[in-house]
Amino acid sequence: MFLHYIDLSWRSMKRTPLVSMLMILAIAVGIGITMTSLSVYHMMSMDPIPHKSDKLFSVQLNTTDDGNNWWTEDDVPLQLTYKDAMALHNADTPERKTASVRALFTVQMDDKEVKPFLASTRVTGRDFFPIFDLEFVYGDAWTSEQEASATPVVVLDEETNDRLFAGENSVGKQVYLDDTAFRIVGVIKQWRIHTKYYDLNNGAFNSPESIFMPITLIAPLEIQNMGNTNGWKYEEINTFQERLQSEMFWLQFWVELNTPEELKNYSDYLQAYLSEQGTKGRFERKTPQFNLKDVNEWMQYNKVVSADNKVLVGLSFLFLAVCLANILGLLLGKFLRRAPEVGVRRALGASKRQIFIQHLVEVSMLGLLGGVIGIAIAQLGLWGVRFTSNEYASLATMDIKMLLAAPAIAISACILAGIYPAWLVCRTQPAIYLKTQ
Amino acid sequence: MLSMKNISKVYQTEKVQTHALRDFNLNVDEGEFIAVTGPSGSGKTTFLNIAGMLEPFTGGDFMLDDVNVGTLSDNQRADLRNQKIGFIFQGFNLIPDLNLYENIEVPLRYRGIKSAERKRRIEECLEKVGLASRAKHLPQQLSGGQQQRVAIARALAGKPRFLLADEPTGNLDSLMARQVMELLEEINREGSTIIMVTHDSELARRAPRNIQVVDGQLADFTLYQNKAMDEIAAKAGQPAIEA
Ligand SMILES: Nc1ncnc2c1ncn2[C@@H]1O[C@H](COP(=O)(O)OP(=O)(O)OP(=O)(O)O)[C@@H](O)[C@H]1O
Ligand SMILES: [Mg+2]
Repeated sequence: MFLHYIDLSWRSMKRTPLVSMLMILAIAVGIGITMTSLSVYHMMSMDPIPHKSDKLFSVQLNTTDDGNNWWTEDDVPLQLTYKDAMALHNADTPERKTASVRALFTVQMDDKEVKPFLASTRVTGRDFFPIFDLEFVYGDAWTSEQEASATPVVVLDEETNDRLFAGENSVGKQVYLDDTAFRIVGVIKQWRIHTKYYDLNNGAFNSPESIFMPITLIAPLEIQNMGNTNGWKYEEINTFQERLQSEMFWLQFWVELNTPEELKNYSDYLQAYLSEQGTKGRFERKTPQFNLKDVNEWMQYNKVVSADNKVLVGLSFLFLAVCLANILGLLLGKFLRRAPEVGVRRALGASKRQIFIQHLVEVSMLGLLGGVIGIAIAQLGLWGVRFTSNEYASLATMDIKMLLAAPAIAISACILAGIYPAWLVCRTQPAIYLKTQ
Repeated sequence: MLSMKNISKVYQTEKVQTHALRDFNLNVDEGEFIAVTGPSGSGKTTFLNIAGMLEPFTGGDFMLDDVNVGTLSDNQRADLRNQKIGFIFQGFNLIPDLNLYENIEVPLRYRGIKSAERKRRIEECLEKVGLASRAKHLPQQLSGGQQQRVAIARALAGKPRFLLADEPTGNLDSLMARQVMELLEEINREGSTIIMVTHDSELARRAPRNIQVVDGQLADFTLYQNKAMDEIAAKAGQPAIEA
């Protein structure tokens, strides 16, 4: 019977091609626009590392005086001071932890063929790679000895390795970063994430850095960070040493805690650490305050998906609703014109339910066709987003979930619009249209 | 099988109230063949529609096969209609999108008959009404008479126990009309109960029982049988049934 209904729907569409086209187009445009904004939203809010996002925690320590306001919802600064970051970095616990910060370097080669270029660089610990599941194509991370002794070594990402060494194994080769010679120890597989969740300072949707080097190089090379630096009290800072000793916040810190027990232990550790620092007179705070936020909490806390984005999704659904209202009107007209036929079907033994389903099938088919064309329109819209915005470029795609969601949303939307017309038409008194012709 | 007691039907439109049926009493036994005559607007179609449960009635009792129709839900009525009742409408009421074959198939589908059995029955009925070669035609490609024959085939294909026919021969020439009458008589012999509205007194006379609807009420001529009919109608001051 279902196939029969599909056949009937198809005929009905062919009978009024113009109205059918109009309805399909209305759905397609509505779905196209909705799916464009929804896809971007979906990518923004998607868990960037689903298998361990609940095990990675961003560490925040409140080392300001009581009564200091911050722009976070709980007044806790987002980043750490160099002192604290390095203290936690060098602590025994937990197994995987790392301070990190972004910097910029000019990359140069002995080979004059390669023009110097600026590369976004992550200055971090060797744990960074296992924490964020980075895989190596060549070589490995620097050793703990190299990190401890501040050896100038780097890890490149695949694209940079392609650019400098045409994709060859470059481990052991040399590269100059701001005139310092670095030895390459590893090349990671290209890191593809939509949201740069581990450092949201320079925009949530930028690409990850392309070069990685030991965090212990900050002091000897006097590396300037390229993110945010925030202070909360007046400090006189003239030298780089003074900057490192200051109370300014400019480093990120991540730990991997695999069990609730590890989480508890590390919380206790941070609590003790803060109490100790408080007694040193660095800050006036009655109760120590710190945060351990996992990846998704961290993204929410930082409002990665802004209210604007949500409003945009809301607006596009509103637009879809307007399209549906039009479709509802067209369906009403179309279905009610068919009342005589429905009268005949009822007289010949069709139940209300059968009539109702027949019409819902027809409406669903409109939705399906509209949904498919809608996907094409959404692709066009996403192409437009990629074309006009660098920041959103990596977000403006439809993954398989969104591709499947499009027809599903289209069909449910059409059923929603079709329920009332279908209900009206299935209530037709069979006799009214049968009296005479 | 059918029993109506004091059935009334009032149509309420904005300005007027029409008493289409009043104090309508009728008993029909299994296997009967009844011809219904009466002036235009007297309530014949209304009676058939109520008998076929296509319309609610305003008052009275209506039993069909010992079931009180007034107490049935819409779904139950649709079910009964589908199982037991076949219609030949006054207008042809074919579905314009469907070809002849598919039009005849409609009631069979709703009854859940298997595809092969449907095909067998449809072909048989198209044969009976002489339209076998036109199975793939759409209704609008046929003459009025041909469409009427399709409507008849549609009713016959369901082998209904109870066939309600509203002027099934209205659009046919007299030869065709007689053939249709023979078809109806044949399925009546096979066991179907038939109520047929007609304006054709000659056809009416061929039916074993005649009833006349006048002004929404029943004048039962059964007792007088066919030959006396014109006479009695004249005596009652009614015009003889118009041809
Ligand atoms: N849906 C309706 N609304 C209002 N009045 C109606 C409706 N259907 C029928 N009537 C009225 O009820 C009366 C009976 O109509 P009905 O169609 O039963 O007559 P009929 O005997 O079949 O006539 P004909 O021989 O012309 O087909 C008429 O006066 C008609 O105008
Ligand atoms: Mg009539």
